Amino acid sequence: MSIILQNVSVDLPVFEMSGRSLKKKLAGLGRRNRIAEDNDGVVVVRALDDLSFSLQEGDRVGLIGRNGAGKSTLLRVLAGIYPPTSGKIYTSGRIVPLLDISLGMDELSTGRQNVRLRGLLLGMSDAEIRHKMEEIATFTELGDHLDLPLRTYSSGMRLRLAFAVSTAVDADILLLDEVIGVGDTSFMKKAEERMLNLQNRAKIVVLASHSDEVIRKMCNKALWMDRGRIQAFGAVDLVTTEYVAEQLLA
Amino acid sequence: MFSTALQDLSASIAAWRLWSLLGWLEIRQRYARSTLGPFWLTISMGVIVGSIGVVYGTLFNQNIAIYLPMMGIGLVFWSLLTSIINESCMAYINSAGYIRQTATPKLLFMLQVGWRNFLIFIHNFVIVLLLLVVFGSEDWTTLPLFIPGLLLFILNALWIGQVAGLVSARFRDLPQIISAMLQMAFYVTPILFQRSMLHQHQWIVDYNPFAHLLDLVRGPLTGNAPSLLTWGVTGAMAVLGWWLALMLTERYLKRIPYWV
Repeated sequence: MSIILQNVSVDLPVFEMSGRSLKKKLAGLGRRNRIAEDNDGVVVVRALDDLSFSLQEGDRVGLIGRNGAGKSTLLRVLAGIYPPTSGKIYTSGRIVPLLDISLGMDELSTGRQNVRLRGLLLGMSDAEIRHKMEEIATFTELGDHLDLPLRTYSSGMRLRLAFAVSTAVDADILLLDEVIGVGDTSFMKKAEERMLNLQNRAKIVVLASHSDEVIRKMCNKALWMDRGRIQAFGAVDLVTTEYVAEQLLA
Repeated sequence: MFSTALQDLSASIAAWRLWSLLGWLEIRQRYARSTLGPFWLTISMGVIVGSIGVVYGTLFNQNIAIYLPMMGIGLVFWSLLTSIINESCMAYINSAGYIRQTATPKLLFMLQVGWRNFLIFIHNFVIVLLLLVVFGSEDWTTLPLFIPGLLLFILNALWIGQVAGLVSARFRDLPQIISAMLQMAFYVTPILFQRSMLHQHQWIVDYNPFAHLLDLVRGPLTGNAPSLLTWGVTGAMAVLGWWLALMLTERYLKRIPYWV
C-alpha cells in the first residue's frame, strides 16, 4: 500500500467567470495570486502547486492549513476524483474517500435501500453489503425505522445511517475530510470508537481537520498546506507546533 | 488505442448494479406515490397516438389500419431515441454530486440514462403490442429482425448520448441546441407521414439518418424488412459514432470532474 505524488498540480477551472476584463481585475489582486487564464480563455485557480511526497503503510497523516489551502482538493486527488492537471500520482490499495457524509442518499428509499445505494457508490460489492447489513443496522440503533423511507428521518438519524455505512467499508487507504460530530452525546462516543477502529484497520489514513487536538491524537505525521503548496511535512508534533506558532503570529 | 475510455466502459458495465439502481430510483422519484406511476406516460402516449391517428389519418386521407400502427410505433421509438439523447446531455451535469465525491467510472452515468429510458420504453411498448394485436402486421416473418434492429438502434442512441453528455458538461448551451434540433428533426422524419407522401422530395427521408434508425425497429414490427441500405447506414453510424464517442471520451474523460 502506498501513495506517491510527483510534481502534482491541479488547476480548477471557473467557467462562471470567463473573459479577459475579469482577468485584468483579478490580476490586480496581488502578485502572488493563484488565478490565471488557461489557453481557452477560461479562468483557472491553481489549487495544488507542484506537490511531491509519498506515503507508506502505517502513515497516519493529518492535513492542516488555513481555509482554501488545498486540503480538500488534495484529498480528491488522492481519491482519484481529480486527475492531476500535470504531474503523476501512483496509488496501490483500495482507497475509500469519506468526504461528504450525505453522499448518495435517496429520500424515498428505505434506510436499508440507502445502505445498499451508498455501499455501491463507495465501491462495495453486493455480497459485501449483504454481509454487513446487520452489523450496520445494529450500529445505527434505528431499529424498525430502517424499513421506513429516508424522508421520515431526522437529521441526526440520517447522519447515523450515513456514518454507519461509510465506516463499514474495508479500506486500505482511508481519506477523511473534517470528521463530523454525529448525533447525540451517547452516539458520539460510539462513533469515535468506530472511527478509531476503522482507522486502525486501514493501512494509510489521511485526515483533514482544523482541530489540532484531533490531529495530534489520531496521526503520526502532519502535512501543512499553504496556498496549494507543502509548507512542511513531518512528525506530527513538530509540524503542528510550527503551524500553531505561525497561526498565533499572523 | 482507447485504453482509458475502454477501461472506463468495461468498469461501468461491471457496475451494472449501481446504474440500474440509480436509474430505477430516478423513475420512482418522478412518480412517487402515484398509483399508475410510469404508466401515465403510456396513457398519455396512447392518447397522443389515438388523436394524431384520427386527425392526421383523415388529413392525409390514409387507411387507418395501416397509418395508425405506422405512426404509433414510430412515435414510441422516436420518444425512446430523443429522451435518451436529451437526457444524456444532463447525464454528467446532474450526477455532479456523485462525480465529485467518489471515483466511480464515468460512463455508468450514461448507462444510467439509457437504462432509465429503456424502462420507460418498456412501459410504452404496451401501445406497440396493442397496435400489433388490433391491426396486425403485414408480414409476421420479419418479426425476428426486431431484435438485432433494436440492439443497433440502442447502440446508436448511446453513442449520440455519450457525445452529447460529454460536450454538454463543458458547453452548457448544447442541451438547448440539441433539444431544438431534435424538435426540428421530428418534422422531417417519417413519423406523422410516410415516405411515399413526399412525392418528388423523398430524398428528405433517404438522407435522414433518423429515418433509417426508425426503419430499423419499426420495419420488422410492421412487416417491412429494413433495406440493405438501412442496415448499412445504421451499422456504419454505430461504428463511426462509437469511434467518435470513444475518441472524445479518451481525450476528455479526465476533465469531467472539473467540468461538472
